Amino acid sequence: MATANQQFFYDAQIERFLAQFVRMVSGFQVEFGFDRNGHQTLQRVPVYWGDGSRQVAQIITQNAAPNVMNAVPAMTVYINNITYDRDRVQQPDFVGKIQIRQKYYNENTMEYEDKQGNAFTIERSMPVPYTIELKVDIWTSNTKQKLQLLEQLIVLFNPAMEIQSTDNYIDWTSLSVVYLESPNWTSRSVPIGTDNPIDVATLTFKLPVWITPPAKVKKLGVIQKIVASIHDSDGNLSDSVLTDDNLLGTRQYFTPMNYGTLLIGNTLTLLKQQDVETPRDIGGEDITGTPVKVGTPDNWAAFVNIYGNLSPGISEVRLLQPDGVSEVIGTVSYHPTDPTLMLFNVDIDTIPGNTLTPINAIINPTSSSLTSSITHPSAGTRYLILGDVGSANAAPSSGPTLWRGTDGVDLVCHANDIIQYTGVHWFVSFDSQTDTTLQYVSNLTTGTQYKWNLNQWVKSFEGEYKNGGWTLVL
Amino acid sequence: MPRLSLYKPTKGNDDTFFDKRMHEMFTVGGVDVNIHLYLGPLAQPNISATEPGNTSPLSTGITGIQDLLFLENRDRKYDTSVYTMRTIYRINDNDFDLTQFGLFLTGDTMFATFHYQDMVQILGRKLMVGDVLEMPNFIDYYPLDQGLPVALKRFFTVQDASRSAEGFAPTYWPHLWRVKLQPLVDSQEYKDIINQIAAGENTTDTLGQVLSTLDKYIGINDAVVQRAEQDVPASGYDTSSIYVAPVQDDGYPADPNENDTSALTTPPTGSAIDDPQAIQNTPYKVGGYLTGDGVPANGTTVAAGISFPVSPTVNDYYLRLDYVPNRLFRFDGRRWVKIEDSVRTNLTPGSQNQTQLSGFINDYDKFYENSVGSDVIRVANVYTPPANAITSSFSYTSGNVITKLHYVSSYGVKVKINNLLITGALDNIVIANATGNIGFTVSNTLYHIGDTIEYTVYSRVVPQRQSLSQALRPTADNQ
Repeated sequence: MATANQQFFYDAQIERFLAQFVRMVSGFQVEFGFDRNGHQTLQRVPVYWGDGSRQVAQIITQNAAPNVMNAVPAMTVYINNITYDRDRVQQPDFVGKIQIRQKYYNENTMEYEDKQGNAFTIERSMPVPYTIELKVDIWTSNTKQKLQLLEQLIVLFNPAMEIQSTDNYIDWTSLSVVYLESPNWTSRSVPIGTDNPIDVATLTFKLPVWITPPAKVKKLGVIQKIVASIHDSDGNLSDSVLTDDNLLGTRQYFTPMNYGTLLIGNTLTLLKQQDVETPRDIGGEDITGTPVKVGTPDNWAAFVNIYGNLSPGISEVRLLQPDGVSEVIGTVSYHPTDPTLMLFNVDIDTIPGNTLTPINAIINPTSSSLTSSITHPSAGTRYLILGDVGSANAAPSSGPTLWRGTDGVDLVCHANDIIQYTGVHWFVSFDSQTDTTLQYVSNLTTGTQYKWNLNQWVKSFEGEYKNGGWTLVL
Repeated sequence: MPRLSLYKPTKGNDDTFFDKRMHEMFTVGGVDVNIHLYLGPLAQPNISATEPGNTSPLSTGITGIQDLLFLENRDRKYDTSVYTMRTIYRINDNDFDLTQFGLFLTGDTMFATFHYQDMVQILGRKLMVGDVLEMPNFIDYYPLDQGLPVALKRFFTVQDASRSAEGFAPTYWPHLWRVKLQPLVDSQEYKDIINQIAAGENTTDTLGQVLSTLDKYIGINDAVVQRAEQDVPASGYDTSSIYVAPVQDDGYPADPNENDTSALTTPPTGSAIDDPQAIQNTPYKVGGYLTGDGVPANGTTVAAGISFPVSPTVNDYYLRLDYVPNRLFRFDGRRWVKIEDSVRTNLTPGSQNQTQLSGFINDYDKFYENSVGSDVIRVANVYTPPANAITSSFSYTSGNVITKLHYVSSYGVKVKINNLLITGALDNIVIANATGNIGFTVSNTLYHIGDTIEYTVYSRVVPQRQSLSQALRPTADNQ
C-alpha cells in the first residue's frame, strides 16, 4: 500500500522576512570624493543574497568572470543559523480564533466593494518560535567607505528595528524585530600582511520569528437556535437537529436582531418591535384589509449588510408558519426603486397544501351587484361567503330569493362559511361555526390561498412575522 | 691580470649585454599590455588637517596621500594617455570562489614581469601599486549577453611591485620588475578610469557601464525590494478589505437603521440632517497596532484638505493633511471627533516613508531665513495683483504664481493658505525660473475661491537635517 503524502504547504515565511530584511538595509549610499570634473557623487550600495548559486554567479559575470568587474561597495545578506527558541515556547496546542467579515469582492472588477461579503472564522495554530541569525557582509574598498556605511546602519538599531513579513491583519506571526548583535570590523588581519584580500565587515543580526503551520479558514458560523436537548424522548437524535440545515454549515442563516417583517403581496417590509401593521392581524392578513407599517421606514440594504451580501434570486427569506415547523420559502431581491421594500418570490412548493377544495370566488352575499349567474352557477361551484345569509329559524322558502334553490331550498349560512352549489340548491360545505381545525383553501379567481385561523379567514402566509418568526438566508 | 668577475661596481658592457638579451626575450616572447598610470589623488577641497586636499603638498602629486588619518588614496587620478609595453607572465587556472561576494576566482592573482629599463623609459617610472593594466590578449568576444556593444576587456590593478628574483643577471644587477596583479574591481579608487574610458570603439558606454556588475546588482536589489513592498506595502496591518458593522457597547451588532447615540439629536444651526441615513449608527474600524490609514470604515467617502469644511453634516469624514501624520475626523453634529491617525507608511526609504527613519535620516525639510519679499493673494477666478505687489500673476486653475523677483536658484518660498502653513508632505513647493523671475506652484486642491494664499520668498534656505557635530556652526556663504 502506497504511503499517503503529507499535504504540501509553503508560505515563504522565512523568505518574506529575508526580503524585508534586504529592504531594511537597502538604499544606503556612500559618498565619493570629487572627480576630475569637480563633481561629488553618491553611489548606492547594492544588497543581495550572499549565498547564490554558482550558475547565477557565472551568468552575472557573462561567463567571462575575470573580465567583468565586481562592484564595490556591496552588501550581502545570508542566514548564518536558525535555532529553535525554547524560551519563547508557549502552549503548543493553543488555537487562536478570529472572526472576520470581509468586504464583498467583485470578481469582475477584482476589487473590494463597500458592502459585506463573506464572513469567516480563522483558526490559527500556535506558531513555533525560532531565532534566525542573519549576517550582513559589507565589502568596501577603503576605510572611509566602511565608516560611512557603518555609521548609517548601526544608528538604526537602538536597540532594534521592527520588521514585518506581511500586512495581513490576521497573521499574528508577521511582526518581529531585528537586533544588531555583534559587528565585526574586518575579515582581514590588521595590520595587513603580504596578501591583500577584500575587506569585509560583518554585522550579525538576530530575528526572533514565529513559523506557523497553515490556518483553517471556515465560513463563519452563527448560532441561530439553541437546542436544549439534542435527543428526543426515545433517545434518538432529535429531528430538529437533523433537519436544521444551518447545523450543516452550508449557508448562513440569520434571524435578524429584533426585527419582524411584513409580507404584503410580493413585498417584504421591515418592522421594528414598536412598528405594528394596521389593521393589526395576528398571524396573518385580513382578506379585506390593506395593512401598512407604522413607523419610520427601514432600509433593507443597511440591514442585510450587517450579515452579508444579498444575492438576488438566490438569497431567501423563510417564513415560519403557525404549526411551528413548516416554512414558506421565497427568494428575495432588493426592490429596484424603494430601498425599504424587498421583493419576495415565493416557492409555491412551500405554500401549505389546501385542506379544502378550492373555492371559485369570495362573495359578499348582500351585494347589490349579485346576478343570477353568480347565485345559480354550474354544479360544484364553491364560494367563501363574507356575510350571513338566511336564518335557521326562518320558515322554509322564506329566505333571500337570490340564494334560494330551484327546488325552493333556502341557503342558510354564516359569514366565513364555504358554500357549494349542487346544481339545484346551495349547501354549507365548510361551517365556520363548528370547524375547529386549521384549514387552507385557494381562491381559483385570484390564486390566493387563505387560511382558517379558527376565527377568520386570512391570507395563508402573508402578513406580519414577528422577530424569531422569519429567517434571512444569504 | 685582473680577477675574473662578472660583477662590477658599475654597470658595464656585460650588464648591457644581459639587459639587451632580456629586452629581446620580452620582444620575442612577451605580450603587449596597456597601462593606465596613477598620477596622484584627484584635487579635493580642504576638509580637515588629515584631508588637506590640493592645498597641501602632502596630498598632491604622485607622492600625495589623500587621507592622512586612514592612509589611503580613495579618489585617484589616472593618466589619460595609455602606455603600451611588453610583459611576461604565467597564466593560472582558476575556479569560481563564491565566498561572500561570489564572483572572485581562486588563483586570480597573477605575477607579471616587466623589463626594468624599458619600463622606466616608456612610463617614466616604475610600475607601482594602484596602476591599472589592460591585458588585450584576455579580451572576451563571446559574453553571454550578445547585446553587449563590445567585447569584454580585462583589467588588472597592481597590488604589489618589486624586483624580480629571476631578473638578476650574473652581474647581480637587476633587469626585471615584477608586479602582483589582481582583477580590477569597480570601486571608488578606479572611477577615473572606469567612468572616463569608453568600453570600445563603437560605443559611448563607459567601461563601468559594460564591465561592472553594479547595475546588475542594483537591479537585483530593486527586485527584492519590490517584492518586499508587495508583501508589506505599508507598515502595520491592512484592514481595508475587512467589513465592520456597527456594534453596541456590549459588542452585539447595532441596528444600522437606528440613530447613532454619539450624534447629537439636535443638529447645530447650519448643519442640516436631511438624510435619515446620515445619522445611522457608525461602524468603527478594526483596531490594532498600526492599522490607521486615514480611510473610514468600509471605505466611506472622505474629503481631504487642510481646513474643515464650512457646513458639514453629521457623519461626514475629513482627513486633515496638515497633521503629521494625517488625521481622520468625523463630524458628530457638534464637533470633529478624531477617529485615527494615518500611521501606516511605506517602509522603503524615500518621500513616502513617514517613519522616524524618514524624519531624521531622510528629512528633506528646510528652514528659511532673510525674507526678500512677500505677498497675499485673495483667490479668485481671475486674479489681478495690485500694482505695488511682488506678484506678477496667479492662475486659479493651475495654481501657478509668478513673482516680479529675479530668479535665484538658491532662494526658497514658504506658503500659507488661510494662515495655515503648508507643511509635511505638502511642503514640496519649489521655485522655478519663470522667464527670469521666481515662480512656484500651489496645488489647486488646497485652495478655493476666497481663500488667501500668503507667500514669502527667502534668500537663504537651510536644510533641517544637519550633522549634530556641525549644527549651529557658521557656514560659508558661498557654499
